[in-house]
Amino acid sequence: MQLAYYPGCSLKQSSALYDVQSRRVFAELGVTLQEIEDWNCCGATSAGKVDDFLAVAMAARNIGIAENSGFAEMVIPCSACYSRTLVAQQRLADDPALQQAVNGELRRPVRGGLKVTSILEALVERVTAGAVAQQAVLKFRDLHPVCYYGCMLTRFPYRVTVSDSVENPHGMETILEAIGVRAIDWNYKTACCGASAAVNDPQTAMNLMGRIFQDAVARGANCFVASCPMCQMNLDAHQETFAAALGLPQRLPVYFITEVLGAAMGIPPEELQTDRHFIDGTDLLKELEPHEHDAD
Amino acid sequence: MIEAALQFQPTEARTFLQEVAARSGQNLAACYQCRRCAAGCAVGDETGFVTPNRLIRMVMLGDRDQALSNELVWRCVSCYTCGERCPNDIQTARITETLKKMAKEEHVPALQPKVAHFHDAFLESGVRWGRVNEMEFMGAYEMKNAFLEARRFRFGAIMSEIRQQMRLGLAMLRLKRMHMGFLKSGGRAEIQALRRKSQAARAAR
Repeated sequence: MQLAYYPGCSLKQSSALYDVQSRRVFAELGVTLQEIEDWNCCGATSAGKVDDFLAVAMAARNIGIAENSGFAEMVIPCSACYSRTLVAQQRLADDPALQQAVNGELRRPVRGGLKVTSILEALVERVTAGAVAQQAVLKFRDLHPVCYYGCMLTRFPYRVTVSDSVENPHGMETILEAIGVRAIDWNYKTACCGASAAVNDPQTAMNLMGRIFQDAVARGANCFVASCPMCQMNLDAHQETFAAALGLPQRLPVYFITEVLGAAMGIPPEELQTDRHFIDGTDLLKELEPHEHDAD
Repeated sequence: MIEAALQFQPTEARTFLQEVAARSGQNLAACYQCRRCAAGCAVGDETGFVTPNRLIRMVMLGDRDQALSNELVWRCVSCYTCGERCPNDIQTARITETLKKMAKEEHVPALQPKVAHFHDAFLESGVRWGRVNEMEFMGAYEMKNAFLEARRFRFGAIMSEIRQQMRLGLAMLRLKRMHMGFLKSGGRAEIQALRRKSQAARAAR
């Protein structure tokens, strides 16, 4: 099976490991993620703050490429890209004049009908079909994660159909359950990490991340699992700073959902590039044992 | 700080409210000040007096100067919690985004210049190359910051910013999370044509 795949700029640069993991994990599940040709930056959150027309138009070009290449569904791992693309699609559908203005400049215009899915939606679909549990050959011995969703998977600047519960999403918990991992319930799964504020307003971002970290530690978690490259980078790269400011000695690795899934599927850590985290998490991912599947 | 209460500007109120409502797509007049937005605001600790509901009231009163330059507009992280919880479906983060754009168009200096520099540099990189190049855009962002600090003779701030970014950059280099190649999309000509269209529409307004 083939699905259109929009990696976005971050997965081609600082979060290249997430690109590698996503393709590899989906391949194990029998799905080829086919990168759409000549895609462009979606504009991300910045476009919404600088130019409303471009905020729709930039993402629209990618939708047009996927549709004109004959795809029915496009998977997007990055939450910012996913949000921007989903909102652009809805705004075009609601506003024919806008769609006409955008399409006027596009070589491959948007016709409508493409299904835009987050990586979690696509994975949950495979969990439901039983494919994930089937591929999980190994079981973690000591993994106690909290699932961190951040803002952009469930809250949108425009009315769209949301694929998970807004205040208490559980897509990642569902996926982890399929590989025998029980995630810890906590209060900050949809809190904001500050996103670009980590760069342009660090004090604000460190306060936000400090609160998230404090709750995860208080609940006894030994790692985070995330699906947004920006959340992952923020909690990982700045953890020394905000954890030290709180006087907390713990350091929790921040995994992508794909590397936890990949490790349980028996993919070697080197192939998943798990050594590219600021807070080292390689050991925890190696503590695996054969998965005893229920007799059925 | 509370003595700087909201100012009612009768001559401005109607047109300002209409402009913000039209551009943000939000019905500000539906706000009945229940403050659910204020209770959930992620940056509430940082923004002080100006909560989302108070920002809406500010716009309705026509207090243009305050509405374009306050902590909430410039510290809002667009987490969209306020809008998600609003019983009247007002997405205040869209209002802060709109007010940022209006401030820029009216040459009102950004209260948090680095926030404005960041989003400008990000989008410029995306439009110029078709894809955002992290190192190039971060370089452009830091140049904008340094230029402003130099004009204010704050050279210490420039040095401390460089030190901080160097530290992060070196860690990223060590973890192979710094990308050395250059990203481009052939679609940048289309993106640039779309931007010209957007600029022309704005000029016509």
